[in-house]
Amino acid sequence: MRDLLKECLSEESGFVELRYHHKESRSFFAERGRVESTALRKRTGVGVRVLESGTWGFASTSEVTKASIQNAIQIAKKAARLSSALRKDKIPNLPKANFAVGDFIGKGIEDFRSRSVEEKLKMVLDIQNEAAKQSTKLQSVGCGYSEIYEEKAIVTTDGADSFFSLVRPEFRVSAVAKEDGKLESGSHSIGVTGGWDCLFRSQSPSQISEEACKTAVDLLSSELPLGGLSTVILSPSIVGLLVHEAIGHTVEADFVLSGSVAQGKIGHRVGSDLVTLCDSGSSEFYEGAGGTIPVDDEGVIPTNTVIIKNGILSSYLHNRETAERFGVAPTGSARAWEYGDVPLIRMRNTFLLPGDSSLEEMIANTKDGYYLDGAKNGQADATGEFMFAVQKAYRIQNGKITNLLKGVTVSGLAFDVLQNVDMVSKEFKWDLGSGHCGKGQPAKVDAGGPYVRTKVLLGGK
Amino acid sequence: MDRGAIEKRLNDQKDLLTNLISKAKSNGMEQVEIYSSYGYSEDVSLEKNDLNNCTATEENMFGIRVIHEGNQGFLISNHIPSLYTSIEEAYQLAKSQSTPDLDLVLPEVRQLTNQFDTYDSSLDTMGIEDLVSFAKEALGWRSDLYDKINIDSGDFSLSKGYKLIVSSKGVMAHELGAELSASVMGMGVDGDLVGSFDYDSASGFTKDQFQTLWKKAFHNFGDKCMGALYAKPTTGFQGKVLLPPDAVYSFFLGLFIGSLNGTSLRKGKSKMAGKIGEKVASSLLSIWDDPTNKGFMGSTGFDREGMPTTFKKVLTEGVLESYFYNTYEAKKAKLPFSNGCATGGAQSLPGCGPKQLQIAPGNTNKDEFFKLPGKTLFVNRISGTKDGASGDFSGVVKGGYLLEGGEKIPVREVQIVGNAFDALNQIEAIAKEGELIGESSFVPYMLLDGFTITGVMEN
Repeated sequence: MRDLLKECLSEESGFVELRYHHKESRSFFAERGRVESTALRKRTGVGVRVLESGTWGFASTSEVTKASIQNAIQIAKKAARLSSALRKDKIPNLPKANFAVGDFIGKGIEDFRSRSVEEKLKMVLDIQNEAAKQSTKLQSVGCGYSEIYEEKAIVTTDGADSFFSLVRPEFRVSAVAKEDGKLESGSHSIGVTGGWDCLFRSQSPSQISEEACKTAVDLLSSELPLGGLSTVILSPSIVGLLVHEAIGHTVEADFVLSGSVAQGKIGHRVGSDLVTLCDSGSSEFYEGAGGTIPVDDEGVIPTNTVIIKNGILSSYLHNRETAERFGVAPTGSARAWEYGDVPLIRMRNTFLLPGDSSLEEMIANTKDGYYLDGAKNGQADATGEFMFAVQKAYRIQNGKITNLLKGVTVSGLAFDVLQNVDMVSKEFKWDLGSGHCGKGQPAKVDAGGPYVRTKVLLGGK
Repeated sequence: MDRGAIEKRLNDQKDLLTNLISKAKSNGMEQVEIYSSYGYSEDVSLEKNDLNNCTATEENMFGIRVIHEGNQGFLISNHIPSLYTSIEEAYQLAKSQSTPDLDLVLPEVRQLTNQFDTYDSSLDTMGIEDLVSFAKEALGWRSDLYDKINIDSGDFSLSKGYKLIVSSKGVMAHELGAELSASVMGMGVDGDLVGSFDYDSASGFTKDQFQTLWKKAFHNFGDKCMGALYAKPTTGFQGKVLLPPDAVYSFFLGLFIGSLNGTSLRKGKSKMAGKIGEKVASSLLSIWDDPTNKGFMGSTGFDREGMPTTFKKVLTEGVLESYFYNTYEAKKAKLPFSNGCATGGAQSLPGCGPKQLQIAPGNTNKDEFFKLPGKTLFVNRISGTKDGASGDFSGVVKGGYLLEGGEKIPVREVQIVGNAFDALNQIEAIAKEGELIGESSFVPYMLLDGFTITGVMEN
């Protein structure tokens, strides 16, 4: 594929970027004793981006032939020329980058190819059947397995020349419990970049299922917590949501240029000394983080970017264009979801570095607060105000976990929450590898870190 | 790409898909359905108060469903030369399963009563130059009228295409469409002050219709961003919330409408199960689904399975009148056929849901809501979470105001917690005025009482 793309570029003089993308997604879902759906999704094509007359032009084609790709290049150039007169802030030449050259074959691909459809169907059906027997209060249990296999080739006129492949499996269980007309849900999911063993490394399918079902049943007897500003200990999945939603989005350089709360804050204190925050294209500490990429969608090798070092904001996340504007090196953060999508600045694996405390010490040192666990969804705003939803809130009183309360929405201002971090645990976990981040396009990301104690606004009664 | 070229492509594809299905039947595949979605679009995007990118994209997606003895395989592809191989792969997926349900069948043909063609040929004279001029105009509005607003992103799109469904049961239906659309997202920035995000969008069948709606949407966006710029934290309280049409539609009613989905009902996940004919909401609330109104964007003569769409009452003065079914869920509910509520497109299996919800306006002038005694929270938008089974929702209020003593005070860091099913009975008044959301669903303003509002400041 690299050879075909290079052939298409052989007569081009300006900046042209070709991105071949083949994606296959398989999904299997079982509920109420039967396989409810099986789906296979295949999408292939080439995205063409040009920089002409100081602005971008983009076109795509699902026909992977020289003639069709070269036609798309001409359409993209025409689009750029037509719009150039309007663009005020012309894009200068793009900076040189640490381009990926060669083939990068992901781990776990052969493992997935060798496993049959029947094996995957049997797993979701068996787990679903087993789970439904756990409690008579369970109204419905759904079990799903999915995997995305991708291959990409990225070639540019200024030096990128790579091919890579990877596979991202996910497993999820969702349960609904009922009692006296009350319905409650519980869910648990995992996702990685890598093979089957990597997916079930820390929890087996049965353990994942038990956790989801237990949450649904336990919440039947829970009540809302008291609303207000509260001391909280966040589990790694919630820390993942916090660093992704509250901080990560505000430091994406396109968002910074639009006026996010992180604008002009490089070198400023935005968190306590205990806070060191990174975003990496690799899976730091151990393999399998769900947002791992060997090459970004501009053909750049991703870095481990230190966003906050001991509380001081030190870097934004960049593509080539914003790196030029800020006079820094690209961080390898340009990502596109499909071949027909233009690459955007996106997070990869976002995490807080672990500290010195243990979870036990943190709980024992908390007189009045909550332990929050089970990530649901989250969103952030330009103001740095974020919200995320948790499944479970456990009350902590006098250094001990007491009753389970219904999980609700947690909100705060990103930098205030980081400033209030006063304990960080030694333990570390990637815990946000399932699902997607949305920013016009979806993206597979991961996030996590240690247990963290801070203050947030808890929605409640 | 003009209407003639799209029609030719459509006609060629009807022949191609019909032949592929015949071939599949002759090879033992009795139930095969192909849903084709073709789109050509030109787009101009904005970023950071400037033009960002111009794109031209074209794609044809095919959703292939094969049912074999009560088991179903589904495959999505954009590769026309290998479509027959894809049909065989979907067949293999169906055959690999061991939990058949003989109620799972493709629907028989039913007569379509409404023909839709929303392709206005005047759009054939337009292209990327026109989109660039729309972008220039919008950037002018920003600099002339809203210079404290930063446009984070925006998009202008001219899209054309068709949807086509063909099945081995004889279903054959298609519709052409073309539209102009635009959206904008951004926030107010004044020195170190940054306001909450907001957005708005508009679309139209013709240039004139689009331009009128887009100008209104952009100004609405600008006003909302400016309103959120100088927001301050406030104290919590128990009381009333005022929801504008967007918030009613996107957050509050979504959970209720989801609970009327045939799949949720069958699986015991819906609090609305067994409640047809019962009063489940305030008598002030009436809702119907009308995908047959040709004046609305998104109206259509057939659903995801090629079945006719119909007008149907959902809720009349608080009494529940209907659920939403595709063919499978209708069979499970012992109905002879679906009520035309199969949702989705080429990239998804048929789900269940409404097409064009309409909410009856009330009797109150909306201006009266802004003069109420005591405290009322105006909830422009909720950034939050909701649980379909329990109906619980909670979230942060964005672009909100505290209405108190005739004053309109912008607030931030405020959370709202509630339950959608309880909230149906907390409706205190519905306004005469509302908006056509997405140029398709009429939604009025609503006033609700009895909510817990959490503020960051101590009471």
